[in-house]
Amino acid sequence: MPWISKDSANTTIERRDEPYLTEAMIKTARETYLPRYETKQAATLPVLHMIQHTYGWIPHQAIEEVAEFLELTPGTVLDTASFYEEFWLKQKGKHTIAVCRSIACEVCDHAALTNRCREKLNIEIGETTDDGVFTLIELECLGACGGAPAALIDETLHETVTPEQLNALIDGARKNKAH
Amino acid sequence: MWQPKMTTPILTKRIPTPPFGDFADRRTISYDEYAKTGGYESLRKALTMPPAEVVSIVKDAQLRGRGGAGFPTGLKWTFLPAPTGPQTERLARGEQRYLAINADESEPGTFKDRLLMDFDPHMMLEGIAICCYACQLDRAFIYIRGEYHHQAAVVENAIKEAYDNGVFGSKGLLKGTDTANADFGNGPFAVECHLHRGAGAYICGEETALLESLEGKRGWPRNKPPFPAIKGLFGKPTIINNVETLAHLPSLIEHGVDWFKALGTESSAGTKLMGVSGHVNRPGVFECDLGIPLRTLVESKDYSQGMRNGKKFKGAIAGGISTGVLSADQFDAPMDFDIGRAYNVLGLGTACPTIFDEDTDMVLVARNIARFFKHESCGQCTPCREGSGWLYQLLCRIEDGDARTKDLDLTLEIATSMGAMPGTTICGLADGNNWAIRTIINKYRDEFEARVRPTYVPVTMSVGAAAR
Ligand SMILES: Cc1cc2nc3c(=O)[nH]c(=O)nc-3n(C[C@H](O)[C@H](O)[C@H](O)COP(=O)(O)O)c2cc1C
Ligand code: SF4
Ligand code: FES
Repeated sequence: MPWISKDSANTTIERRDEPYLTEAMIKTARETYLPRYETKQAATLPVLHMIQHTYGWIPHQAIEEVAEFLELTPGTVLDTASFYEEFWLKQKGKHTIAVCRSIACEVCDHAALTNRCREKLNIEIGETTDDGVFTLIELECLGACGGAPAALIDETLHETVTPEQLNALIDGARKNKAH
Repeated sequence: MWQPKMTTPILTKRIPTPPFGDFADRRTISYDEYAKTGGYESLRKALTMPPAEVVSIVKDAQLRGRGGAGFPTGLKWTFLPAPTGPQTERLARGEQRYLAINADESEPGTFKDRLLMDFDPHMMLEGIAICCYACQLDRAFIYIRGEYHHQAAVVENAIKEAYDNGVFGSKGLLKGTDTANADFGNGPFAVECHLHRGAGAYICGEETALLESLEGKRGWPRNKPPFPAIKGLFGKPTIINNVETLAHLPSLIEHGVDWFKALGTESSAGTKLMGVSGHVNRPGVFECDLGIPLRTLVESKDYSQGMRNGKKFKGAIAGGISTGVLSADQFDAPMDFDIGRAYNVLGLGTACPTIFDEDTDMVLVARNIARFFKHESCGQCTPCREGSGWLYQLLCRIEDGDARTKDLDLTLEIATSMGAMPGTTICGLADGNNWAIRTIINKYRDEFEARVRPTYVPVTMSVGAAAR
């Protein structure tokens, strides 16, 4: 439901001195992305992807920096960013476990996967563990229906996953905390 | 007995697929391997023809879009205005023309474009080059869904290889090889090709939402007209085609119209990737003639090898959830573009059926689908935004056993009306929601009725003086 997306207007923006939009990112955007499009705004998604990939979320300060770089208002960038599920406007865990909940996966018992995660990590769908390592979510179809049930752990897809395998994958991810 | 007409794999020529090969042998084909096995020969051939001739081949072959709507590809191409002059002059005047490749593939049940991008990305790229040449399009954007991380990396690498080997860029379209410049009096022609990643929004698969997203905005479908062929990306003429549609071009150009039309059925020419999921023994993507009966696809040892655990077939989503369901007595439906009219579903959709066995709860299926559409509705149009939410709530209530007959009637009424009247919603998502829920309730009405209690109708009787 992307149309219910805004926090209240008096949310304070946390700031840090070091910019989120690094020189390296600006260079990539200038050399690779901007020349492809007729407008600067069209580079919004690729630039937001760089931020999301690097920090695991998109802080408000980064939205402002992106806006300044692309010569847009922060509101315009936020409007775009808030529409897409893959852009996290709030901090999430270091690792994201996303279980597919769409039709092929639900009839192939995706619930067993989600339940195993809930029990193991002691969190509900949409929550993050207290140590900030794992966030559990359910997503719609991952395009892996032939391998249902499917789950995406960070950026890696796993198909025909059993609860035991998922268990092992979570343990594996915990070990390499460093991302 | 239905017999396949295809005797060799076409789209899956280099992607081992039963009955010709084994899933386990699939691997990504590099540029060198693609070129060594006849790759980019069709592009060379196309470049020896005037662009308009390539368009007429596609038109004559009656290639229909593989992205869901089945719109004739050649016809779509003819909606483009004629180029206003040679490419260099046009570009200097800011009169760009674009191709957007729809690799958003987010319709639940659908996982076929992924196959091409995973294993044979150059077939798609060759198709892109042919299309750009035929329609004189200057720049192509492959819009790939955000969750396809691996595929994005593979395609990105393939694009780089294509640039390095003279397909794209100013030194591209195989210049410097035996092929002439193919300018036909128009001066040099070059095509740029880029990957653009989406970020998790099903609606961006709708062609105008895709354009908005490419422009860096929220993926809100546009009102049509103007149609993208006239005013598309950045307000310029734009063609939008599905990955698989374009991947058909190399073999079509190589073998010609008659060969193509000899495959499939009369109204649905060619082969199609069909991804089978759900309760079958061997789920996966197969390449079949259009017109293959669903039963054959599910039961044949060449394809899905029957129902899992020996269960009975109960029904199937025809081709992505928007299309609705085929019931047990429609198991023999041929998977072609006429399936909609003949079997009361929206259409062939993506031709990726999800199969349900006898134990499947169809109320659960309806609820799952309603949730999807509620979640993915972009919220612009009231019937879709509100209707999808109400459908989901009503179906949850029915699933939980808290509903009455009038709730079921209301569900069906919403499912019958939302998006049904043209012009009340901007895009087809509402209509897809409508078809999915309506066909499930109509075809499995008993199951729904068994879950609801009769509506209590208060009967009052007046006696005596009050009766007058
Ligand atoms: C809600 C909605 C979602 C769609 N999603 C996709 C998609 O993920 N991939 C796709 O190829 N077409 C999708 N389509 C169809 C496109 O709008 C368009 O018809 C298609 O990309 C045209 O390509 P084709 O003619 O080659 O099939 C969608 C349509 C609607 C209404
Ligand atoms: S029909 Fe639904 S998804 Fe399509 S534009 Fe309207 S609100 Fe958005
Ligand atoms: S339904 Fe789960 S991957 Fe498609």
